[in-house]
Amino acid sequence: MSNHSFHRPDAMPLREALRGLRFVLRRGGEAIAETFDLDVLPKPASDFANVALREAGDFLRSVDEIASDVAKNLLGGSAISALPLQDIMEKPNARGDFAVAFYVALTTVLRHLGAAKVLVSEAAARAAFDRLSGRVSEETVENRAAQLTFCLLNARVMRGTTAQQAALVPGASLEAVSLFAVMLWLQAARSDEENEAALMAASDMAVALAPEISAAAAEKDVARIAALYKKYVSHV
Amino acid sequence: MSEIKLNTGVLPATNEPLRIAVRRMRWFKQAFQRFVEVTARDLGCTFEIDDVKLAAAFMRWLNAVEIQRPADKSERKAFFEFAAALVLRELTADLPLKATGPATLADSNSAAAFWPEGYCCTLFCLSVHAAAMEQEFHDQTALDPAIDDLRHWWSFKENTMQDTSFSSGFLQMLLGHQPNWMMPDVFRARIKSDLGAPPQN
Repeated sequence: MSNHSFHRPDAMPLREALRGLRFVLRRGGEAIAETFDLDVLPKPASDFANVALREAGDFLRSVDEIASDVAKNLLGGSAISALPLQDIMEKPNARGDFAVAFYVALTTVLRHLGAAKVLVSEAAARAAFDRLSGRVSEETVENRAAQLTFCLLNARVMRGTTAQQAALVPGASLEAVSLFAVMLWLQAARSDEENEAALMAASDMAVALAPEISAAAAEKDVARIAALYKKYVSHV
Repeated sequence: MSEIKLNTGVLPATNEPLRIAVRRMRWFKQAFQRFVEVTARDLGCTFEIDDVKLAAAFMRWLNAVEIQRPADKSERKAFFEFAAALVLRELTADLPLKATGPATLADSNSAAAFWPEGYCCTLFCLSVHAAAMEQEFHDQTALDPAIDDLRHWWSFKENTMQDTSFSSGFLQMLLGHQPNWMMPDVFRARIKSDLGAPPQN
């Protein structure tokens, strides 16, 4: 029997690619539907165009479904982690565990806020975590969480936020508010049973704090975000 | 004796003391949702909850408690009682609740039929208060007979529309206290012989 240990391949790049594909397909389908007004075409051109677009739409939907199913079922990553941020940071594979927990939580928050179509990048979350890891660790949890919040903002972990006019939070604030919600939740003490309710609570609180969060984010005020975490983490 | 009963049994179970749990958004939201659901069933009406307004009310209440909390530990119980009045102030300031039809099972001359949303929010505050007082101080909450007088509810609704602090005084009154109607939502301005205030030197 061999003594070689086999490292499990990192599935994150594949997940990321599939999510990106799904995002483009969904956006592409919407763009086609919104762009063409086939009624203005004369017959039989409008009939041909209708058939072609219907078939293109069916194709996009089927590819979208395949990409969604593969991303969800084969590659996992849909359970919301109950580990607090402090514990995640101390794990051997902290960057990977953080990015997975962050991705699942952020997509849940975005759905709650009515912005389900925003693309979230797990790879960017991992890169943001790496940037934080290089800094001094002898700080309070809320300070590190605040720094990580700005690393995540700078890494552009969310794409397509400005198109979300129907969300509970305006597009311009959506990024900072939803990131704040996830980071607040990650710091909160919670049991497995309360985990999802705690995430929704953090999301509701972030919406209520949207003006303060947006102002602090615009001014790149790490201390102010840390102060908000400190003040509200025990109330999630 | 009033037929209005507080419903503490509907509040979610928690391993934490209620005074801690109530200051957590997740518990507060779940408690409010359950209370509204049961009240709607009892009254024969349907309520819609606005989660955004509910969260905003909760956050304003946290800030109000932080600002007004006395440093003197001897005032703890009095402030504990007062905190419920501040919850009602924040809920009525921007009601997170909307009745989508009349309360068909409520007596037409009752407070519940007159103002279902105000009634539900008031009973929620009283019920949480009663459960917390029982747990923390082994006190049984007794409601003032004023709760059955529809004229007080008329006054509550009308005055709260103009000045949200009024609802703080209304809740103190229902708990049998004499509110300072000039500043009913200011703990320091409460009438000193009331709300368990220490005797004056």
